[in-house]
Amino acid sequence: MILFESILDGIKDIKDHLGRTLLQLVGIILGAGSIVATFSLSVAGKAASMEYYRLSGGIQKIFIWNQPTGKVTLDAKALASKGLTWRDAVAVQRDAKEIDLVSPVSSQPMIVRYREIEKTRGVMGVMPAYSPMNDVHAARGRFITDNDIQTGARVVVFGSERAAEFFSTDDPIGKTVTINGTGYQVVGVMEEKYFSFDHKRNVLRWMNRQIYIPITTYFIRKGETLERGRVDMINARMIDVKKHEEAVDQIRKVLLREHGVKDFEVMSRVANLKRNEQNNRMYDMTFMICGIISLLVGGIVVMNIQLASFNERVREVGTRKAVGASPAQIFGQFLAESVLVSVFGGFLGLFVGKVFTDAIAALTRDPAIITADTIVKALIFAAGTGLVFGMYPALRASRLNPIEALRTE
Amino acid sequence: MIRLEQITKTYDAGENAVQALRGVDVSIEDGEFIAVIGPSGSGKSTLMHILGCLDTPTTGKYWLDEQDVAELTARTLARIRNRKIGFVFQTFNLLPRASVLKNVELPLLYAGLPAGERRERAHAALERVGLGNRPKARPNELSGGQRQRVAIARALVNNPSLVLADEPTGNLDQKTGSEIIEIFEKLAGEETIVLVTHDPAIAARTQRRIKIVDGLIDSPDA
Repeated sequence: MILFESILDGIKDIKDHLGRTLLQLVGIILGAGSIVATFSLSVAGKAASMEYYRLSGGIQKIFIWNQPTGKVTLDAKALASKGLTWRDAVAVQRDAKEIDLVSPVSSQPMIVRYREIEKTRGVMGVMPAYSPMNDVHAARGRFITDNDIQTGARVVVFGSERAAEFFSTDDPIGKTVTINGTGYQVVGVMEEKYFSFDHKRNVLRWMNRQIYIPITTYFIRKGETLERGRVDMINARMIDVKKHEEAVDQIRKVLLREHGVKDFEVMSRVANLKRNEQNNRMYDMTFMICGIISLLVGGIVVMNIQLASFNERVREVGTRKAVGASPAQIFGQFLAESVLVSVFGGFLGLFVGKVFTDAIAALTRDPAIITADTIVKALIFAAGTGLVFGMYPALRASRLNPIEALRTE
Repeated sequence: MIRLEQITKTYDAGENAVQALRGVDVSIEDGEFIAVIGPSGSGKSTLMHILGCLDTPTTGKYWLDEQDVAELTARTLARIRNRKIGFVFQTFNLLPRASVLKNVELPLLYAGLPAGERRERAHAALERVGLGNRPKARPNELSGGQRQRVAIARALVNNPSLVLADEPTGNLDQKTGSEIIEIFEKLAGEETIVLVTHDPAIAARTQRRIKIVDGLIDSPDA
């Protein structure tokens, strides 16, 4: 009851001194604003990268590269190594138990011609597993099959953008194109992949710009044997994300056994994600600390103003005590006031946070999502500030001696 | 029924302690209208504070409605002030931003009464002081006499055992002051009223006067 009356009183107080209240609340408004911005950007960032991963084959994807990344000096043996080969892919497929799909990938620019259109375009030799592993599927016709691999078939599958580039309005399926002078039959066109962080740039566009042929055909045309055929990269997929470390470890062991030296690098998206999360946490922390410092400063201002308003109202407090307000009731009343004022500030902070968020999102082209969870967090932080910093003024008011208070002019 | 027995009050100001009251005995019957008089510095205010449960005596007993309130905690004293005592101050001490009605309701708010009952009783109290027509007004819209009536209504609203008025006419002109005393005269018999004043003319209008000099009762039954 008294709490309710105090809240009504508090609202009246905010209304009567709106300018002063707003000034008092600058710190809290900015603090709550930064908290909103932090959470909004980080929530959205996480959601977006998860979505990107999901659309491009999931976090169970593993990349095996030819040379170790980073500044590792290669010894003579490693330099002499023939690098990743078809055999390695086969060995990984056979011996790494936590891996279900493997596709070696090799690509290089080739001259592609359909009728009078002739262009130099990247052509990629792949295995059938490439399609499920990257979650990219044939929209029309089919993808490369095991049969194509075994027979070294001269078939080709176009990414959606390449299909449009060469065939325009023609139906590509069944047409013949020449690649480096050899005829290939078009057996499929892939679906169009799209994902954007900023609603502008399609970060999956590279998938639409591929031209796929069976990897065996790729080697035959290059004049290399399958056994010794050097590949650019091997894609693999782990069975269980929870066992991602084992999966990577198994691949490393197999390749070390095959090569005798470590001239490769194995990277899993799960590990990447974990590293990113750590980086994000640092970023979040920085912003959070800014928010918390703003709130602290805001809290000190709230405390000051509460003390000032308490000094103005000493007689009022004395009167309230004379008519029977207990110390606890006065304490509650003052505390309710600072919490209310701070929550009001937090509420305004939401709008400031929205502005912050939109501004940062516009600048960095990162997406931002303000969730209910974020709003609740910001308001709780603001209320907490009011609670903590309202404590001392409330305590002073509650301990006021009514006789002295009534004597004050 | 109020009884003070050998009340003393010593203010401990380091080495030179001040004895404001040096053994005061007072009995007040229900419905009495009494004036407390005395020169300034006589211990008048201290006696008022103790009577009003704003302060506790150093030694002695204070019986308020059969209850010894001499040694209670701040919380219990607040409760007693809330339920049994009504204050009227020289400077009115109304809350400036609250309406007349809200001001009168204040003691009931701290007593935890529901809003409907608070309003009803506040209206009734305002009627008793002849100010039932302006419940929505702010104190600064009222004359001094009207403000003091609001303060009296606030003192009466919790049906106190004791109404304490500390120089209630000190800030009013003579005519208005006289009207305020008239209100007290009318209330006498229904309420126990103790009025502190230094104005002999006002003291003369009460039923009994207690004169304090140097922390002692000078003429208990003047």
